[in-house]
Amino acid sequence: MYEVMMYDGGVYRSNELLEMIEDIGGVVLQKTRSAQMLTVTMSIPGEDKEEVEKVCTAIGGMVKSVPLAGTEIAVVGPTLGRHHMPHPICDIAEVLRQLGAITVVMGLARGRGKATSQISMQEMDIINEYDAAVFVLGNFKSCVEAKSHLFEKIKVPVILVSGPMPDNLEETCDAIVSGVGRKSERMRTPEERKKLDEISDRTDEVLRIKRKMLEEDPLFVHPAEIKQLLEEYEPIKESLRPAPIVLHLDGLRLKVPMKDNVKNISDMIVYGRRLGDITKISESRIDGSSMIVRIMTSSEVRDRDRDAQGHVPPVP
Amino acid sequence: METEVTGPDAYGNEAYKKLFEALMGEMGKALSLDRAKIFLDPARPLFIFTIVMRTEPESKTIADAASIRTEGSDVHITISDENYAPEILSALWRIYGRDSVDQQTRFDIKIGNGDDERIAGTEITSGEDAKQEIIGAMWRILPEGIKARHNISEGRIITIAATEEIFTQELKDIALRMHSEVRDSANV
Repeated sequence: MYEVMMYDGGVYRSNELLEMIEDIGGVVLQKTRSAQMLTVTMSIPGEDKEEVEKVCTAIGGMVKSVPLAGTEIAVVGPTLGRHHMPHPICDIAEVLRQLGAITVVMGLARGRGKATSQISMQEMDIINEYDAAVFVLGNFKSCVEAKSHLFEKIKVPVILVSGPMPDNLEETCDAIVSGVGRKSERMRTPEERKKLDEISDRTDEVLRIKRKMLEEDPLFVHPAEIKQLLEEYEPIKESLRPAPIVLHLDGLRLKVPMKDNVKNISDMIVYGRRLGDITKISESRIDGSSMIVRIMTSSEVRDRDRDAQGHVPPVP
Repeated sequence: METEVTGPDAYGNEAYKKLFEALMGEMGKALSLDRAKIFLDPARPLFIFTIVMRTEPESKTIADAASIRTEGSDVHITISDENYAPEILSALWRIYGRDSVDQQTRFDIKIGNGDDERIAGTEITSGEDAKQEIIGAMWRILPEGIKARHNISEGRIITIAATEEIFTQELKDIALRMHSEVRDSANV
């Protein structure tokens, strides 16, 4: 069983840690360097955890638990207007990032208003590209309840953050955290920090359930293994975007244009198979500069193999 | 500033009271307000904000925010209220041009061949500007989707009512009633 953890420390002697991760068969999920400071999010075999922790402390760093590492989460507000941004949406995104998630902040084009709020098909498709979505709504119970149509058709898990606790929305979203609402300043008081912790805990719970469901029919290959392979791909190495490869629970987001790279990426070989045969690759609905790679489950790959051999399923 | 919030949603009332006080403070308007009465009905939706200012905003001239003296043909202006420094400078630039306005320090300005009486009487802000700023602050506090708005301004009392779609006469009457109540109780 692989475990995800984060090294937070200096660059000095960090090569020792990176070599160890490679030696034990682990994967670096994300490496961020800022001047002389370095954070490394890694996925390592559980039995080597103690040894890795020893190396991290020996080179002067700290080890942090990052339960949301390897996920990309959208924090969605009704609009990008000053009524909703930056607080509390950015505070929530920040606390999720501290737990290892990659976050994006998104405002709907026409999400404001009680009777007039809308979400477009494109916005829904964009949100469905993420592992989970946190919807942040306001202070009035009737408004929060009336706006449930914004997220009721979203396919990924939804965590609703609102001011008052709404009624009858338990079936519409996966978790509800009340007591936040509209804010005009940073959430910095002890009660507000607790509320942010509650949001991150609920997000973690929801994603654990999603992970468990994925384990029932595991992916043919772990996203981190594809990441390792793609890191050597020239257009990704040359990409200047902050995180050119973002891990999802069931795949990856690659920040290179689909039209120029889909053939090369599909032809890469993983465990003796073409990547294009074990994944579904599509262009991101955000724009053409990134693509989404969804990894098939083992059973999907088996079915595909059988179909390719001309197997006809028995008539029930 | 005394703030009273009424309406059927207790959570929203409390939250909007905090928002109103925080945003008015942030925008530097809290000190100019005496009291505020807010009615919030999200189900309808109807939001009414009535505020009573401490004094009715009046227009200000350069002489109100700076001292002016003449030495020979030069006029020297010393700004006493820094808040109006940009307005004073831009008014002088408008009259005499940038080359003739010599800003010697942050607060000291010299104008060659200036007319001290004309400078003293130049208006830098009108009472209407101050009211507009307060109305702008209230619009910022109102929920974003509540776009249909109706303003009532009378002396030092301003009322803003807002709803989402059609502003009916019934809603206007409710706003006017609240405006009148506040006016009578504030003894304006």
